Amino acid sequence: MVGHEMQHGGEEHPPSTIRQYVMTGVILTVITVVELFLSYSSLPHGLMVSLLIGLSAVKFVIVVAIFMHLRFENGLLTRLFMFGLVLAACILLALVSLFWNDGTDAVGGIPAGQEQSAPKH
Amino acid sequence: MATAVGTVGHTHEESTVWKWLTTVDHKKIGVLYLVTGFAFFLIGGIEAVLIRTQLAVPNGTVLDAGLYNQLFTMHALTMIFLAIMPMGAAFFNYFIPLHIGARDVAFPRLNALSYWVLLSGGLILTSSFLFGEAPDGGWFAYAPLTDETFSPNKGLDFYTVGLVVAGLASLMSSLNFAVTIINMRAPGMTMMRLPVYMWMTFVVAFLLILSLPVITVALLQLYFDRNFGTHFFTPGTGGDPILWQHLFWVFGHPEVYVLILPSMGIVSEVLPVMSRKPLFGYTAIVMAGAAIGVLGFGVWSHHMYTTGLGTVPQYVFSASTMAIGVPTGVKVFNWLGTMYGGNIRMTTATYYSIGFIALFTIGGISGVMHASPPVDGQHQDSYFIVAHIHYVLFGGAIMGIFSGLFYWFPKMTGRLLDETWGKIGFWFLFVGMNLTFFPMHFLGLAGMPRRIYTYDADLGWDTWNFVATIGVYILVVGILLFMLNVFMTLRKPATAGDDPWGGATLEWATSSPPPEHNFDVVPVVRDRDPLWYNRDHNIPMPERPAHLHIHMPPPSYFPLVLGIGILLIGVGALSSLAITALGVVVAYYAVWGWALEPTE
Amino acid sequence: MAAAHAETQHHTTTGIDNRKLLMWIFLASECLFFGSLISTYLIFRGDSIVGPLPADLLDIPLTSTSTFVLLMSSLTMVLAVFGAQHNRLGLMKGMLLATIVLGLVFLGFQVYEFRHFAHLGLNLGTNQFGASFYLLTGIHGTHVGVGVLYLASLLVASARRNGLGKEAALHVDIAGLYWHFVDIVWIVIFTLIYLIP
Ligand code: HEM
Ligand SMILES: [Cu+2]
Repeated sequence: MVGHEMQHGGEEHPPSTIRQYVMTGVILTVITVVELFLSYSSLPHGLMVSLLIGLSAVKFVIVVAIFMHLRFENGLLTRLFMFGLVLAACILLALVSLFWNDGTDAVGGIPAGQEQSAPKH
Repeated sequence: MATAVGTVGHTHEESTVWKWLTTVDHKKIGVLYLVTGFAFFLIGGIEAVLIRTQLAVPNGTVLDAGLYNQLFTMHALTMIFLAIMPMGAAFFNYFIPLHIGARDVAFPRLNALSYWVLLSGGLILTSSFLFGEAPDGGWFAYAPLTDETFSPNKGLDFYTVGLVVAGLASLMSSLNFAVTIINMRAPGMTMMRLPVYMWMTFVVAFLLILSLPVITVALLQLYFDRNFGTHFFTPGTGGDPILWQHLFWVFGHPEVYVLILPSMGIVSEVLPVMSRKPLFGYTAIVMAGAAIGVLGFGVWSHHMYTTGLGTVPQYVFSASTMAIGVPTGVKVFNWLGTMYGGNIRMTTATYYSIGFIALFTIGGISGVMHASPPVDGQHQDSYFIVAHIHYVLFGGAIMGIFSGLFYWFPKMTGRLLDETWGKIGFWFLFVGMNLTFFPMHFLGLAGMPRRIYTYDADLGWDTWNFVATIGVYILVVGILLFMLNVFMTLRKPATAGDDPWGGATLEWATSSPPPEHNFDVVPVVRDRDPLWYNRDHNIPMPERPAHLHIHMPPPSYFPLVLGIGILLIGVGALSSLAITALGVVVAYYAVWGWALEPTE
Repeated sequence: MAAAHAETQHHTTTGIDNRKLLMWIFLASECLFFGSLISTYLIFRGDSIVGPLPADLLDIPLTSTSTFVLLMSSLTMVLAVFGAQHNRLGLMKGMLLATIVLGLVFLGFQVYEFRHFAHLGLNLGTNQFGASFYLLTGIHGTHVGVGVLYLASLLVASARRNGLGKEAALHVDIAGLYWHFVDIVWIVIFTLIYLIP
């Protein structure tokens, strides 16, 4: 992970005016509002879920890259953080798919009539 | 200390106890870890002797079922979390800065804090015996055994709280070690020049940093199940005992590598020096270690084949488990290649290293056997597994630690342990270990289950059980011989010299024991084996400057206070909210004092 | 948490400050921590045998407001860092205070939400939703609380005669990393629990 030494970060510099930060905040707010509309819209379930997850990922990246200025730091920090993040995502996916595809689960499930709008797939 | 001109805070004589309580010196902290770890090793050993005595003959009456359950549970917890991990951390503490050419770890006070918190966790866990309520659900504490219905006493609360506290300690020390290795290296010490031991340390640190949070969540959930009426792991309102198993083993498998990698690192230091030739295949061994670290997160369900994972998951986890055997095997060949053609000195440290290779390989092979689900169906929960884990943990981890003890004792104390008695002790441990654990393969295949407190006479298990118990008593003699060796050696004058083995790594370039600031002049590293390179190129040791102006961090009692705060929080979680609140106040006070304390 | 000695404080092998490196690795660890909690929540989705269920309780407009509050606290936090880095101490202190207040408002929303849900019959032991929801959001709230305490300590310390010392910008910066992380965890939680029906 840390094979070579890097003395300094990239060429880019973090925002140098308050305005730029405020603009970033506005963008984040706009995305949140869009998400809110999406969640009330009548888009097909699969599409809506992917859009919501995609948009949150964008927000996530903006905060990490600009507010936490990871983009302007030594690349080592990015790699270390990404390692944890990707590992967490992989384990989450593995666990969730192990359980959601589990035909042997005797207890789960909601009595008929009370089912949520989003049953497990 | 006397050599470090400019050291702050030594104007008046302080008592020895106070010095140890407030030390932030990584070497002193390393010694604290070592002594603590060894003490717990003895406690765990006594538990093991009791267990084996009970099982020596059919229908044994030494222990009753309840106490037996407590003992095998506490034996595993003590050995894993309070003996092997702390002894591993002891060498990390002592040798990380010395290996990478630093004056201390990156965060000396955090380092002290880690020790005090670890000690708190150990005390919480072990004190459960005083209440006659030690945890009794196995070290993996499978639900629903851990439910309040089946474990009505406080035992499993000691388990959750003790492990969370001990885990916090490991998390803090791992963060510290990771930062130290990344950021505190001497000039010229690139990552690919790090001693293999440092690489293994680095991998272990990340294994812990990334797996401890998972077990912490599981332990919290268990604590909530038992105290706040949730049903994460019990079917009550739809909970799932299998979830506990998953979370436990997502942590548990990386954890077994946390136990073995330090010893692999030690062996990788001892063998080249004792064979008087560089390690064979440095890059391969480093890459294998890193591969084990990454793959180690993708095999956890091999502990759960018999829970009905389904076909595809079984394929996947079986394949990844067999794959992880490959880098493990690579390392074995690296060590053999290192010795091959070498001019080997058969010291006690060499004996233990070779013992490590032989015994660990046996354990690795039985591991690959139960990587196969159908085979595992026969092995699971039988004594065959007990044989496997003891070949890797005793034959592997403990043998490696003993190798390190003999190798580094002269550096830490200035005295060489007695070689003759060392070797005699080695043979006791080696023979005792095989006598105890090899028969367990037979017992397992003959159907003897794990965790039974007694058995009937006509099952065909008598002979091997008796042999195994004899083995344990031979092991006890071996351990006593070692302790005697240490006591006798410490009474002799310190005559070992700086570099009794002709070592290759930086710790041998300073005095034995090293001064508080480690190196008078920070060494410059030109090769993977810096001292051998300097020797072969006639590069003299740097002159000791006439005046040393080295600032070392002053001692501090805030780590201890913060540690006490955390201990109180833990005790409160087992008794009353008031104590927790007190602990929070103490901890917050300590954090303030810590932050405002001058460190220069 | 100062480095071992003055010498290493500014000369680390990689050029990254030790404390900042520590914080980023710690955050990597936190990913696994929240990952496990979120996994539990998702695994138990639809496993509740009795109600109340998420659809009966979750109030999206309300939580959107508290989400917005937390998002704005990230903005004020970044401005506090900006102030510290550009030696505008007034800006720094004001923005730290704003961040603390916004954090407290977020916590207020959470307390209200918890009490409201409890009133409607959802307790820790009621069903799988209750257990995993309260644990996940409760631990997130605890993180916010610790963050508030952290920032408040910095604010108090900055009022001392020598302020936060010569490394003020770094201290505020690192606290900011923690604060923003807690915010992005909420971004994930908000989407997975509240928005996805
Ligand atoms: C070649 C590498 C290895 C492989 C393929 C392997 C495979 C396995 C498998 C499949 C099991 C589950 C058996 C069962 O419960 O049915 C197991 C159990 C275990 N292994 Fe290994 N293993 C390996 C190395 C190690 C090492 C290096 C350690 C520790 C230092 C270790 C410690 C353990 C422990 C403690 C258990 C038992 C856990 C329990 O149920 O209490 N293994 N191993
Ligand atoms: Cu395993």
